[in-house]
Amino acid sequence: MLFNSLTFIVFFAVVLALHNAPLPWKVKKTNLLLASYLFYAAWNPPFVILLWISTLLDWRVAKRIYAEERLSRRRAWVALSVLVNLGLLGYFKYGEFLLENWQLLMSAIGVAWTPPDWDIVLPVGISFYTFQTMAYSLDVYLRRAKPADSLLDFALFVTFFPQLVAGPIVRPTQLIPQFQKPVRASANQLLWGLGLMTLGLFEKIVIADGALAPAADAVFGAAKPVPFLDAWLGTLAFAGQIFSDFAGYSTVAIGVALCLGFSLPDNFRFPYAAIGFSDFWRRWHISLSTWLRDYLYIPLGGNRKGWHRTQVNLMVTMLLGGLWHGAAWTFVVWGGLHGFYLGVERFFQRQFGGAKIATTFGFKVFLALLTYFLVNLTWVFFRAPDFPTAWRMTRTMLGSGLDGSVPVLSTYLITVVVAVTVGILLVHGFMRNRRLEDVVASAPWWLVGSVWAAMLFLILIAQGSGDAFIYFQF
Amino acid sequence: MPSSTSSSESEPVILRPVPGLRWPRVAVAALLLAAVGLGAWEAYWRVAQHYEASYRNSDGQWAQVRRRVDAREANATVFIGSSRTLFDIDLDVWKEETGVHGIQLALEGSNPLPVLSDIANDEDFRGLLVVGITPPLLFLPGMGVRAGVIEYYYDETPSQRISTQLSYPLETTFAYYNIDTKLFTVLARQPWWPSRPNLPFQQPEVRKLEHMRRDRQADLWERVETDPEFHAIVTGTWQAILENLPPPPPEEVARAQFQALLDQVAGNVAKIRARGGEVVFIRPPSSDVFREVERKITPRERVWEPVVGAAGAVGVHFEDYPALSEVRTPEWSHIAAADKARWTRALVGILQKAMTERGVHRPEVGS
Repeated sequence: MLFNSLTFIVFFAVVLALHNAPLPWKVKKTNLLLASYLFYAAWNPPFVILLWISTLLDWRVAKRIYAEERLSRRRAWVALSVLVNLGLLGYFKYGEFLLENWQLLMSAIGVAWTPPDWDIVLPVGISFYTFQTMAYSLDVYLRRAKPADSLLDFALFVTFFPQLVAGPIVRPTQLIPQFQKPVRASANQLLWGLGLMTLGLFEKIVIADGALAPAADAVFGAAKPVPFLDAWLGTLAFAGQIFSDFAGYSTVAIGVALCLGFSLPDNFRFPYAAIGFSDFWRRWHISLSTWLRDYLYIPLGGNRKGWHRTQVNLMVTMLLGGLWHGAAWTFVVWGGLHGFYLGVERFFQRQFGGAKIATTFGFKVFLALLTYFLVNLTWVFFRAPDFPTAWRMTRTMLGSGLDGSVPVLSTYLITVVVAVTVGILLVHGFMRNRRLEDVVASAPWWLVGSVWAAMLFLILIAQGSGDAFIYFQF
Repeated sequence: MPSSTSSSESEPVILRPVPGLRWPRVAVAALLLAAVGLGAWEAYWRVAQHYEASYRNSDGQWAQVRRRVDAREANATVFIGSSRTLFDIDLDVWKEETGVHGIQLALEGSNPLPVLSDIANDEDFRGLLVVGITPPLLFLPGMGVRAGVIEYYYDETPSQRISTQLSYPLETTFAYYNIDTKLFTVLARQPWWPSRPNLPFQQPEVRKLEHMRRDRQADLWERVETDPEFHAIVTGTWQAILENLPPPPPEEVARAQFQALLDQVAGNVAKIRARGGEVVFIRPPSSDVFREVERKITPRERVWEPVVGAAGAVGVHFEDYPALSEVRTPEWSHIAAADKARWTRALVGILQKAMTERGVHRPEVGS
């Protein structure tokens, strides 16, 4: 069920009414669990079984790990959880990719082999809930968390509908304790939650789908090479689109949870104002980057095993992070570029980190713009349907490969992309060291009301296309 | 990624702060202001632009009508084609004349052959299929404007199905809630945008042309006839499209593609007949510039006749019957709403006669 659908409005109204009805807490939690299954089944009912498999497996595994003292047994149990969860993810998400690459490998050594047809539908959000439920078993194994006391609480943790299909990916210690005692949103929480939902839907419907998607689609879908201007504007449009789409989803998720009285962590902190790539990853998809840090980068050794090993660990983490986004080599290259940037940044920090110029405002602005420039180059690989398109776009953006180019963007689309991109950069720059809640709290009430009304009005007249959120496919 | 070296601590519960404002007052102000804005927007479209509430002709609506073929109406009469079949057939008159409430699946700006294949592969269908032909659209490289609707029908989620139902009351209440009046569509169409040098022709989006019912009965919007300015916009759009048609492929390629098309038509018609169904072809009227261009690029003897011949089916071309050609087509391509009942009545009579003469007996039309 999409947040930007009429079905969700009715669904959420019913859930909210039941959650505020005079019912026992256990009944309310059961309602939330059933609502979460319904939310997921609204895409494809049979895939609810996958949620049940993940839930029951990790529930049992965590109990066993916690009760077991022998390290080898504990390792075996956690390995079972990881294998089954990654096995499901691999089967549904990477099966076709693996077969295609195996076929290419075989043909490279002269073996003719045709893979079987792979007509498997990707369960929406499987990458998100797989990582969330794995975090539970891993945290119990690492003794960071105790197993949940109640299967109901754990099932709700795995399935909680606001963040089920596109995050934020929450840790058991962030959410399960919130299910243990009755909560209900105060009037202020409810209204602020509705305000966050409006903000998120505005980002998705007005900015991502309405203003920016047409230009990005036109440029990346062009049959012929496009000029320098179009290549850059198409990429800037996609940069704004994917941020508004994904941050919009997270903001709605946080708002929905808050309306019910639950707190979810931030997933974005104005990433296009980042100064450097370490800073970028502290601001972009925070719940994934911290997951990768805690369950991959640090177990690999983090930065505790010397300079070279740190670089390798960073690169491995970012390559796998790229692959997490999609079963295609273009995503791996996207991750690899980020790994490379992080490595180069560490090199420069080690060499010149103490230089006085690094603390000046002008140099920080320069670094922020450089970061944004380089991030945009990575988005080309993220968005392009294939490598030929990605190479063509990259060459054009770097000033070569312009022969035979044909423009695709009208002056209308050019104007919209420039205006919205400048707007996004100004907002991110202004908000870089601020929290949204603090800025809103310091504004006069009539201004907040007017901005809220404007967003609501624009959502209603933009009408929306009912397009799915981009990150659902991951 | 964050470069912390240690994360041995578990992530704690985060309590989200709520900005310290008087939120009830803020929320009421926001709702009131948004309501005022929306009211003004609705009034603009109703009063200044003469829009009225109408079904949106969404993919969900098409899917809902398409499901009738699968369910209780296996022996139904189904219409496929482009906007001419959509606008020109009067479902009420069809029912009066034949006793059958037809299922309207024609899609504007679209090649009907993918839908023909879909119906041919639907084992449930054993009725009469009326295929409307707009000759140039048979040669679209893809399905056209409504590409994706068949995929949508098969992939439609329960949530999408419910959203379509929930959307209907809004569609029939708000005039602004229309594909044609989306904010960014309206912005893109403003005349103040300068043209960009060297930008290839970009096919303009067609403005609102019809008033649609829930069963997809669609009448040509009267504003096309009564408002000279709007009429000029519509005909200007057709003119621009017709003047910028892509060049035809080389002769040999075109011949091979057309033969494949004929084979596809013949194969699909044979599948439907094998199940006890029947297929007829109709060519609804066009006029003025549209007809001139169609005569030039898709002459009747090189497109219509071979298609009907390949199918071995009854074909009714408007040029052969005064009752079908003597109608008003205000913007050259669709019959005026006031004339469609007469046209449909005449079509039923002509089809009955033509089918009877060919020895095709179908209860759906009483031949």
